[in-house]
Amino acid sequence: MEQPAFDAVAAKQAIFEYCKKRGALAVGIANLADCERIAPPGHRPSDLFPRVKSVISLGVGGQTQGAWALPSKAMAYSGSTEVRGYKVAYGLAFHIEQKFGAPSVYVPPDLDPEGGPRVPLQSLKLHAELAGIGARSLAGDILLHAEFGFLYYASVFTELELPPDAPMAENPCPAPSCVSMYRQIGRTPCMKFCPAQCLSGEIDDQGRQKMMRYDMAACAELTQEYEAVPKMLAEAVADEVRTQGAQGLLDPDRKMLWYKVSAGSGAWFAQCFECMRVCPIATRAPQADPILRREQKKTG
Amino acid sequence: MARGLSREQLGITDALLATFGETVFRMSHNLQVREADPVRTLDWAEIERQREAMGLADGQIAARLGLTRGQVMFIRNFEESRRFRVGQQAYLLDLGGGKRYRPERVVRLEDRARYSEDALRLRGVFRFDAELARHYCEKGWWADDTVSGWLARHASKRPDAPAVIFSDQVITWKELEARVLRFAEGLRGAGVAAGEVVAVQLPNVPEFIVAFLAICRLGAVMTTLHMPYRGTEIQALLRHSRARVAICLAQAKDWSPPETFLTCLKTVVALGPRVDGCLAFNDLESGPPLSRDHAEPVAADPFLLLYTSGTTSAPKGVPHNYHTMLSNARLGVPEHRLGADDRILSAAPFSHLFGLYALHCAWACGASNVLLPAFTPPDLAATIEKHKPTALWTAPAHIAAVRAMGLLEKHDWSSLRLTIMSGSACPPQLVREFSGKLKACAVTQLWGMTETQGALYTRPGDPLETHCTSAGRPSPGTEVRVAEDGELQVRGCLLFPGFYDNDEANASAFTQDGWYRTGDLAAVDAGGNIAITGRVKDIINRGGVKFNPRDIEDLLDAHPKVLQSAIVPMPDAVLGEKACAFVTLRNPKQALTLEDLIDYLSDKDIARNKLPEKLVVVAEMPFTPTRKIIKGRLKIP
Ligand code: B12
Ligand code: SF4
Ligand code: SF4
Repeated sequence: MEQPAFDAVAAKQAIFEYCKKRGALAVGIANLADCERIAPPGHRPSDLFPRVKSVISLGVGGQTQGAWALPSKAMAYSGSTEVRGYKVAYGLAFHIEQKFGAPSVYVPPDLDPEGGPRVPLQSLKLHAELAGIGARSLAGDILLHAEFGFLYYASVFTELELPPDAPMAENPCPAPSCVSMYRQIGRTPCMKFCPAQCLSGEIDDQGRQKMMRYDMAACAELTQEYEAVPKMLAEAVADEVRTQGAQGLLDPDRKMLWYKVSAGSGAWFAQCFECMRVCPIATRAPQADPILRREQKKTG
Repeated sequence: MARGLSREQLGITDALLATFGETVFRMSHNLQVREADPVRTLDWAEIERQREAMGLADGQIAARLGLTRGQVMFIRNFEESRRFRVGQQAYLLDLGGGKRYRPERVVRLEDRARYSEDALRLRGVFRFDAELARHYCEKGWWADDTVSGWLARHASKRPDAPAVIFSDQVITWKELEARVLRFAEGLRGAGVAAGEVVAVQLPNVPEFIVAFLAICRLGAVMTTLHMPYRGTEIQALLRHSRARVAICLAQAKDWSPPETFLTCLKTVVALGPRVDGCLAFNDLESGPPLSRDHAEPVAADPFLLLYTSGTTSAPKGVPHNYHTMLSNARLGVPEHRLGADDRILSAAPFSHLFGLYALHCAWACGASNVLLPAFTPPDLAATIEKHKPTALWTAPAHIAAVRAMGLLEKHDWSSLRLTIMSGSACPPQLVREFSGKLKACAVTQLWGMTETQGALYTRPGDPLETHCTSAGRPSPGTEVRVAEDGELQVRGCLLFPGFYDNDEANASAFTQDGWYRTGDLAAVDAGGNIAITGRVKDIINRGGVKFNPRDIEDLLDAHPKVLQSAIVPMPDAVLGEKACAFVTLRNPKQALTLEDLIDYLSDKDIARNKLPEKLVVVAEMPFTPTRKIIKGRLKIP
């Protein structure tokens, strides 16, 4: 039997359809060579999956319109939709192997045990950016999409060779309203309302990003609470906590953390979404807003 | 860490951490800087130029600094932990739902207000029996009452109704709230924080009420100083209460209150003309109001620290929280048949709990308070005629003095529907006479102590005899019992938790099973009405026969020439003790002898051994601020 000629464009189409059917809003293929060139040694796609031919990146939607109105303590629980993205990517890796017979891997979004809790194995943002489904924003380089707003990303590496996409032609950040705010007060909404005050930057005369500064360490205090666990233990041992000594571990906020540790969902650790909550693209891009999405479906 | 290697295996020293910590941290992706958008535009030159600014991986940093990758990883993680502050999530708690981060609203956790050591010490006294506390809450006796909450309620529900009536001034609830919030902000600026004690020595003027409510709104605690107190007494109580701030008159007739207060305190607020070194009451009241966001007190917070006796040697400070005081007032209001339309006048000073009870009852139901700055019989009578209060809080001695001056006839007292007499035992004859004069007024008796507020009272509608001969029945939420030795003991939702900083007094004040020993002698009649028959300490032991001189005093008080009497034990070489009668005369010009009294009493069928064996006529009795005779000060010549 003659093998039918492999149609890379059709395969890419089928992969995109698979992802979108399962809830991805955006899918793209990153240029592998560019990924390899930008990511530092140890964090290149080939470091994880030596026979990688294609880097597939997909993004799932962020919030319902209702969720953006939640108090941030509740948002901490419901704000993270990344696991939904990982599920799609996980399924996709199986799907490619079954349908195309090409070994594939769902890229672990997690941290590199040789780097500690702030260093990822792979940069999902780099994949998504090169795949053209997000551009770096002034909000600490969170990627934004003109149509889909704020997405969570997941990646699949595969030995299947697929035609790559290009990065986005335009960066939607800063939005026009952010530019006018910046002109007035020297700051954009994300910068102004970040509770860690870890964002700053500049916008040029054409209203484009000139400089982005992000104090990740300060942000991590609000978003990477798991680092609080060893810190609290250390403080308790050193008698530096509010309630002295080990008794301090029983203070309600600390006990809350033990709860989160034992409940064990990484999604719940991420707490702060304030920069996205105030971002006009994240919350009001046409396809980011499920209500607008429905309207568009009806009219389109 | 790295590959499971320890600090020692990696060769990490404190010296290495100190040398490279900052540099590694800066080169890592902990601090990211990006110019323009080089990755998206694939501007390779820029990507390379900016690598370090955008954040290097550990291997890259290691190559630049001449360290191993493992060392960089350890140093970076060490530095990340060192800088990591826990508790940051607290900043998030107020955000969302339209609320955004504003730096001026954020106070770092460690900078947020905390109770001072003194405040915690006072709060530490509030230990109640857990079982009983649960019971009081279940019954709804202890609820969420605070005077600030009550004030806010009246100000919003009946903003234009009168709250305070004083001379020609009517202060509405809305106006009162506004004054309180401004003064509270002034006090806050002067350093009054939640839990701190503020001493107040003011007569019954509107400013007392403003000060009291403002102190409460801040979650602070008021301690009152009776108007007659001077130097040593004031200093002793300021010391014991650990007051931070005092509020007093700028001037008094024959002394300078600010001078005395300034010897102990840095911050003194003076009402009246400006005084050097003091804040002016009016200035504090004319600034901006306290922020509505300022934390409200809650019912379990202490708000009063009142002193009963022993001002200099071992002060007995009685702390109360809103639970004890306000439950008693709220539950008392329907018993006294008070309502929002009542106008309550207290002849007793607000520095004393009986006076405060008038405020608490008024605030519980939204009634107004008619103020009488300081009691004199003519002023009381004139104020009643002018402002037509419906309820009068008074001591028997006040009424006795009014009666002696014939003011009941000369003035119109007909507005009164309720009189509550308290402060000392009430001669039956006085109640009878007063009731006879005021036909539409229920003349009731109340027995209470600083430790309890209103514990026993007769109710409007009780038979006249009950009002004449007893202090009535327990208030709702109050339990009483008479011990074997005749002592009245009390327990209930109104009871203070124990004396502040006075272990000795606490040791003897409560029974093993938690009842408060009142020191008063009581007898219960068939109707459950309780008569206070004297003080345990007043008992006279004449040759082994103990008796309570109270009934003799009642008889003497009814003697046509006697204004008031008090019988005290006088030492006797043979019998141990004998009775000595002190009296003041209705008409000082008419002489009175011991023989007159013996004749008079002999007619009344009195056991001979109870008869007074000495008579001392005095011009004035030594009184407590509520006109209770201080027997201890009667010196036998
Ligand atoms: C560690 C981490 C964090 C850290 C640090 C975040 C940060 N911006 O660096 C903390 C805990 C603070 C955090 C917070 C949040 N995170 Co996060 N986080 C990650 C994680 C695991 C790694 C990101 C990272 O450190 N990358 C390394 C940095 C330096 O590289 P980069 O910017 O991606 O790439 C550039 C590098 O300079 C270089 N590079 C490439 N690869 C590597 C590898 C290394 C080791 C280095 C040094 C450099 C490098 O090339 C790139 C071009 O310059 C990713 C998931 C993943 N595996 O990628 C999610 C991820 C970035 N987080 C995400 C989100 C949504 C958040 C939060 C909104 C959620 C929350 N409330 O916690 C906040 C937002 C904070 C913010 N303003 O960015 C999303 C972002 C989605 C998006 N639309 O961009 C991601 C992609 C997860 C996902 N599945 O979608 N996060
Ligand atoms: S996630 Fe929160 S702390 Fe981090 S940049 Fe955004 S607003 Fe600031
Ligand atoms: S608010 Fe959003 S669009 Fe505006 S500058 Fe920040 S990230 Fe960009």
